Amino acid sequence: MAGVLVVLEQRSGTLKSVSHEVLGAARTLADELGVEVHALAIGPAGLKVDGLGEYGADKVLCCRSDELELYQASRYAGLASGLADANGYQIVMLATTALGKDLGPRIAAKLGAPIAGDLTHISGNDGLVVMRPVFAGKATSTLKITSTPCVLSVRPNAFATGCVARDGIVEDVSPGDSGAGAQAVTIAVKEPEKAVLDVAEASIVVSGGRGLKEAEHFQLVEELASALGGAVGASRAVVDAGWRPHSEQVGQTGKTVSPNLYIAIGISGAIQHLAGMRTSKVIVAINRDQDAPIFKVADYGIVGDLFAVVPRLTEEIKKVRGG
Amino acid sequence: MSELSTVPAGLQPPLPRDQLVLRGELEDERIDVDVLFVGGGPAGLAGGIQLARLVKQGKERGEEPGEITIGVLEKAGSLGEHSLSGAVVNPRPFRQLFPELQETDFPFRTPVHREAIYLLSQSRARRIPTPPTMRNEGNYVASICEIVRWLGEKAEEIGVDVFAGFPAGALRVEGSRVVGVRTVASGLDREGNPGSNYMPATDIAARVTALAEGSRGLLAQAYLEWQDIESANPQIYALGVKELWETKQPLDRVIHTMGWPLPRDAFGGSFMYPLEPNLAALGLVVGLDYRDRDLDIHQLLQQLKLHPLFKPYLEDGELVEWGAKTIPEGGFHAFPQRRHGDGVVILGDSAGFVDVPSLKGIHYAMQSGMYAARAIYKALQRDDTSQESLAEYDRLVDESYIARDLYRTRNMRPAFKRGFYSGALKAALMTLTGGRFPGRRIAMDSDAEAPRYATGSSPFMPDGKLTFSKVDAVFKSGNVTRDTIPSHLLVGDTVPAELATFYSHMCPAAVYEEVDGELKVNPPNCVDCKATDVLGPRWTPREGGSGAAYKRM
Amino acid sequence: MKIAVCVKRVPDTETRIKVGADGRSIDEGGVKFVLNPFDEFAVEEALKLKEQSGEGEVVIISMGGDSGQETIRTALAMGADRGVLLKTDAKPVDPLVTARVLASEVEQGGYDLVLFGKQAVDDESHAVGPMVGELLGLASVSAITRLELAGGKGTAEREVEGATEVVEFSLPAVLTAEKGLNEPRYPALRGIMLAKKKPLEVKDVELDEEGMVVVELALPQSRKEGRIVGEGPDAVPILIDALKNEAKVI
Repeated sequence: MAGVLVVLEQRSGTLKSVSHEVLGAARTLADELGVEVHALAIGPAGLKVDGLGEYGADKVLCCRSDELELYQASRYAGLASGLADANGYQIVMLATTALGKDLGPRIAAKLGAPIAGDLTHISGNDGLVVMRPVFAGKATSTLKITSTPCVLSVRPNAFATGCVARDGIVEDVSPGDSGAGAQAVTIAVKEPEKAVLDVAEASIVVSGGRGLKEAEHFQLVEELASALGGAVGASRAVVDAGWRPHSEQVGQTGKTVSPNLYIAIGISGAIQHLAGMRTSKVIVAINRDQDAPIFKVADYGIVGDLFAVVPRLTEEIKKVRGG
Repeated sequence: MSELSTVPAGLQPPLPRDQLVLRGELEDERIDVDVLFVGGGPAGLAGGIQLARLVKQGKERGEEPGEITIGVLEKAGSLGEHSLSGAVVNPRPFRQLFPELQETDFPFRTPVHREAIYLLSQSRARRIPTPPTMRNEGNYVASICEIVRWLGEKAEEIGVDVFAGFPAGALRVEGSRVVGVRTVASGLDREGNPGSNYMPATDIAARVTALAEGSRGLLAQAYLEWQDIESANPQIYALGVKELWETKQPLDRVIHTMGWPLPRDAFGGSFMYPLEPNLAALGLVVGLDYRDRDLDIHQLLQQLKLHPLFKPYLEDGELVEWGAKTIPEGGFHAFPQRRHGDGVVILGDSAGFVDVPSLKGIHYAMQSGMYAARAIYKALQRDDTSQESLAEYDRLVDESYIARDLYRTRNMRPAFKRGFYSGALKAALMTLTGGRFPGRRIAMDSDAEAPRYATGSSPFMPDGKLTFSKVDAVFKSGNVTRDTIPSHLLVGDTVPAELATFYSHMCPAAVYEEVDGELKVNPPNCVDCKATDVLGPRWTPREGGSGAAYKRM
Repeated sequence: MKIAVCVKRVPDTETRIKVGADGRSIDEGGVKFVLNPFDEFAVEEALKLKEQSGEGEVVIISMGGDSGQETIRTALAMGADRGVLLKTDAKPVDPLVTARVLASEVEQGGYDLVLFGKQAVDDESHAVGPMVGELLGLASVSAITRLELAGGKGTAEREVEGATEVVEFSLPAVLTAEKGLNEPRYPALRGIMLAKKKPLEVKDVELDEEGMVVVELALPQSRKEGRIVGEGPDAVPILIDALKNEAKVI
């Protein structure tokens, strides 16, 4: 029985790892519902779709055309909703990425279906119940989906990959009519020039505070950030002191960040700073004062002289990353 | 105490009158209204509502002036966000202004049925009899934010234009006449250059400008100084620091305390009021003529919360809001000799209409706004908004319960200038004699002239549960002031370490810090309490919407 | 150029969220409501386009209760010409239901451009804009950070992970605005005065049945207790191990 259709994402012909997470989430849900998972891969002629069975796909529908290398919203939406309609999928799933945020609602509108995005939890055991953060993560909403078909979009990094392998038989799907005459066409994807990584966008942020004692010592923060491939952040105190530009300020009146890893160096952790970074996935604090409030929100802390700890940490990170 | 003393007045910059009183043509792009209330608090809004009602009733009778436009300017991003009070409110002006409404329609929380006053020592609370001036039966616990938002709705319903997010930065004058105000530009960067969403200042022309800026009103000060209007005693102030707590243990009465944690030479006390079964307001108010250079009102409030009288209520509760504001405490003898002039009247806290013994000002503020409305209405009917014509406002106030109440208690606050016990004795005698003792006015110095003696501060480590640092407190005020605006504080050229230390304790919002003997200023932290303007660097208005964003204070 | 901007009234982002007595929605006591911040970018862009072309109309459309009028007035104070409130006391969580109401209003208006904020900061759906585009069969681009229009055509840029997509489209079109598109203006005093007199039409609307219901609204659990892994530089290897094998972030 055709149950769940997962719309995969690719860049330059290679599937993105976030798609494996969606497959993992879909597989778990499909098992609860007793249905199959089919994956839809749309991309250029050279699109590689081998081994998706290992991620839980019973079948892989593959739609290859060089016209589809870039994300073409209306064609992608037409293909996915057309298949969902034709094969009677109950659930269409995708990832809450830039593409998923655009494509999910289009598919839902074409199917006349409800959509729930940014899901952190899905359960099919007692009807279809999902959880999603609302109010900027300040609350979580639990929703019951009461009509099918429906579109579910899952938050990246929230679902595990890996499960019992399935067949993953690949079946080609026609790309349909060419895109000529489309109302909107993606004509290019510009890679960013080598620019400074914005603290609000980075998946790793290393921030420094007054504990660094003077502006020149921020080099320690920069070196660690560079070893981790992360961005540099700053507390309000050091921005006010003119050590760092305002664009780097993390906190209530600066930027709100929620990276996978946040390292706070010599930051005591005033509430207004915590407000800007407490939703980070993993927080590390390095501070001389073991009573500093930053340790209350940190997952891992080192108490000690940052001038001794940070260079050592940078060195070790380089070893891990290099090897 | 050390022998060395510091007098804050000596290093306080003067009022920047050139910036505050502007002559010359109003700009072409100006906005014209008939009457402008500067400040959207109880005084300005009650005044606006009363005036709109008088105009409406007059129009129905076919009276002049017929159609008029009434504006209210407010510096907070939205109404109520800069308003902070205890508060136990006397409903009198509400009844007068809204005769068609029931008491239950008013924006109050709970009627006061039980109250208690305690004299505190560090570990004990001794209940003392409630003086007659402090009895609150018939009054209501309320949030001034809620009162102001409610009044704002009433004002807009009746056609008053309320402009929130627009501070008035200067008086526009012609000769001795006030002809309007100029707002403050927004969108400037730290150096004062226009940014991408720069909005220039706007002139607002008005036939009458009513200054209802609240405590330590800047334009009111500028007007009084410019026109050489004096008062018998200088105005003096107290600073109140207040917190709103969600509590596990319900509070069943209104509490006031005296004594600990204040030193004997400081005047003040604390309060705790129930708003809901599990929502309580708690605060500490201290006269700014305190003598201890290192006295820190925010820190004292933190210590107060650990007292056995308060701690049981707060434990396992949550701090939801924090804020601070000054209160004019000079009373009757600090009234400006006239509170009106050509094209201008001064209302509410800006005129000093606060009764210290009963801890009340909101109803006087509203009432003064309503009297001003009556005087302005008559002046517009006569088409004469001169000083003589608007003198009616002062007459109405002088003949009212505002002047009567404050006259009766005229010497009570001054009696405490030499400390708590002699003050308490004198205050008791004054109450017994209905204000006739001691007869003569007790002369006062301004707060900035009181010398301060270093006692050394005791370190205090907030626990983040019951007690909080100033920086954390500012966060709880809802302050999201842009960090990149120009500083709005006028600091003296050289600030000795002594004074930097004094400022750092005086300011409840950590605007001032003493770092290695130097003064460090963090302007965005400011919540516009105005204590700095009383004792230290001068306060001027910033771009609209800056500062605190109180919700239920 | 006739432009519609669809806006939503939402709690201020600084609001402390408290769950209401029904356990499914927020307690609105003491909550300040504002024009959705992303919608401000949409309003600003519409005003800029109108100013550039020197003619046209900017219409603000909002769906919700009576208080939505206040939100519309905020946009009118920024400079928009008139408003339409699609009045309903319901607060749908199913984006399709909202999208259908808005699409039907927009369809009648003959707009060259329909702008949205990329998402509302209350339910964070980021769905209604693209849905309206699909329902109307119009070109649409979501979460744009740059826009150029010329001769009935447009080019928009949207940020994707680590890159920027460039999309060409034909008018009429539906676009949703991301932060960075512009710097929204503050309403000027004069604008606020004028806004009070601008036309604001209120229409009652009927909603379709929703395909989902809220079961519960809950505050997130507090983080699990962290731990001090050690003191001084000697603790670094322990930290590295924890980050690598336990937290799996490096």
